[in-house]
Amino acid sequence: MSISEEARLALLGFSFRGAGAPVRERVAFTADEIREALTSLVKRGLISEGVIVSTCHRSEIYSLAPDEGARNVLTRFLSEWRGLDQAEIDGSCFYRVGGDAVRHLFRVASGLDSLALGESEVLGQVRQALSLARESGSTRAVMQRLFESAVAAGKRVRAETEIARHPLSVASIGFELARKVFGDLSRRSVLVIGAGETGSLFARHAVEAGVREPVIVNRTESRARELAASVGGRAVPWSGLAAAVPLADVVVSATSSPQHVVTRDQVESAMRERRGRPMLFLDLAVPRDIAPDVTEVYNVFSYSIDDLEEVANDNRARRAQEVPVAEKIVDEELENYLAWLSNLSVVPTVTQLRRRMEELRDLELDRAPAAERERLRGLLDAFSARILHEPLRRMKAEPDPARKLDRVEAVRHLFDLDRE
Amino acid sequence: MDSHLLGWFAVALYLGAEAYSILSLVRPRVPALPGHLLVGGGLILQFAELETRARALHSVPYRTIGGSLALFGWMLGLSYLALLFRHRERAVGPFLIPFVILFSVLGLLLPQPGLAARSDTRGALFALHVTFAILAYAAFTFSFVLSLLYLIQKRQLRRVHTGLLFSRLPALDVIARLNRTSVSIGLSVLGVSVVLGAIWAEHVWSRLPDAKFGSAILTLSVYGFLLWKDRRGWVGERVALLSILGFTLIIFSYTVVNLYFSAQHAFR
Repeated sequence: MSISEEARLALLGFSFRGAGAPVRERVAFTADEIREALTSLVKRGLISEGVIVSTCHRSEIYSLAPDEGARNVLTRFLSEWRGLDQAEIDGSCFYRVGGDAVRHLFRVASGLDSLALGESEVLGQVRQALSLARESGSTRAVMQRLFESAVAAGKRVRAETEIARHPLSVASIGFELARKVFGDLSRRSVLVIGAGETGSLFARHAVEAGVREPVIVNRTESRARELAASVGGRAVPWSGLAAAVPLADVVVSATSSPQHVVTRDQVESAMRERRGRPMLFLDLAVPRDIAPDVTEVYNVFSYSIDDLEEVANDNRARRAQEVPVAEKIVDEELENYLAWLSNLSVVPTVTQLRRRMEELRDLELDRAPAAERERLRGLLDAFSARILHEPLRRMKAEPDPARKLDRVEAVRHLFDLDRE
Repeated sequence: MDSHLLGWFAVALYLGAEAYSILSLVRPRVPALPGHLLVGGGLILQFAELETRARALHSVPYRTIGGSLALFGWMLGLSYLALLFRHRERAVGPFLIPFVILFSVLGLLLPQPGLAARSDTRGALFALHVTFAILAYAAFTFSFVLSLLYLIQKRQLRRVHTGLLFSRLPALDVIARLNRTSVSIGLSVLGVSVVLGAIWAEHVWSRLPDAKFGSAILTLSVYGFLLWKDRRGWVGERVALLSILGFTLIIFSYTVVNLYFSAQHAFR
């Protein structure tokens, strides 16, 4: 492998692990700022290729720098760009080069470096980062392949492990429990009592889980109507709550009522009306909205916020158990990427191209009469040397490293040199 | 080839299917096809074994408890394969396949004298009567396994145990629907079997059907009651418990009644 190629791959990053929120806020990039920063970095010749990943938990600049001094270049750039003190940047950033930078990105894409282990949102953010870099014209072969490989690693980790399988948010857990009672939720009715922040979150999750037209009940009817309009649901006045309960398969309650909003008598009556069909209650309120003894009613399932938090903790532990398998996948993908990167060096490419020419020559010689072979071999060798001389000279002499890599990549692709 | 050897090969494939279905339970992303092929292969071999026996006896091999259990195991396996293709619920496999193995192994181990069938037990009517009865038992065994799964899943939901089994087992509603279908099929097929048996008995026997007839009527009543209550508020756990009761009745009918109380249905 060409160590110099790998060494020029650098990452300067700020993440929730080392940088506090005030610093992260100052180095965060909007989509427009990413385009602007990348264009500026490339135009000024500070980097040959670059991609910026910016989320609420991290801002990371991946670059292919002309030389090995990328750290100073990037911190100086950030210092000017954001008006930050260079010492402040140095104190809160981390810097990785070569394989370490690649591994870091693969771990990020796989959710292994996320605050919520295994979360899936980051994979979309990595994809989005590549897309913005492409728009800015700051990616070529190395970054393009790096980010595509990162996305592939992220997908593999999620497909081959259970790291993203167990939900962590109480809303997801609540609907996961509902799915385990009712199966497909698209034909089930959900009643949300309370249109505050938690009620809104659950109403949205209900729609994401496939529920059509969740019913919203709130003491202030106008808020129920607002929430219903925003999630495609239906608002019911507070006075209609008792009538709405028997019609719901899932009841989510999140009010600030000091008394129970749904009593055992109401649930028993509802179950009679429902002829025993199961009901599930998610009680997110403190103090509780649903009478705790409703669980004693046949076919009634009721979960409090504490139950859901407990599942979240268990799921966190389950995700953590998957980390060794996920790390192994990251290692495999890292190895593949570094092997590809090392192939991009000029010398092995020229050697492989010459070998390919010799193979083709030998194929042709096999078809020629034996007496002619020696003469033809010399002729074909001279011919291929002439044909290759100028393209290879230009490829070797290219002064711009990124363009040189592009050319190597093009030669490898055109002559199918990665097949070996 | 020795028919028993075919039977043991079938059992080996069922064991492979069981191992694979446990693997699928732990790693649900493993492809389904090998499991299907193992069950399918086992069924083909076991069918060949049953056919060899039938040719030797000139009758469906249900006159001995061994032959009857082998047919039972085969029909249960066939029902499982139908479930795989129809509902793709692989999570039932690890719990159902052991029953297929158990009945098939018992079918091979229990004595099976190679006596030719009595003349009165030859003919399509009798064959259909017994085959339908065994098919009904297979459907009720299915219902029994589903009921156990229902109780396990419900217990996990009640205790908020969201481990491996919780995530792999189907939703309660899905298990309840499959159970309903199994019981409906079992009930219909057993009803047909009883009618066919009664028609056949009228021609052959000098007196009214025996204790086995009574136990079949009792089985029909229990499962009929189950379906009736299922539509009237017993959906879920109570139906599952009733199905388990029904299954114990079948085992009782299959063993104790056949061996000790029934003159006409005794294995010989």
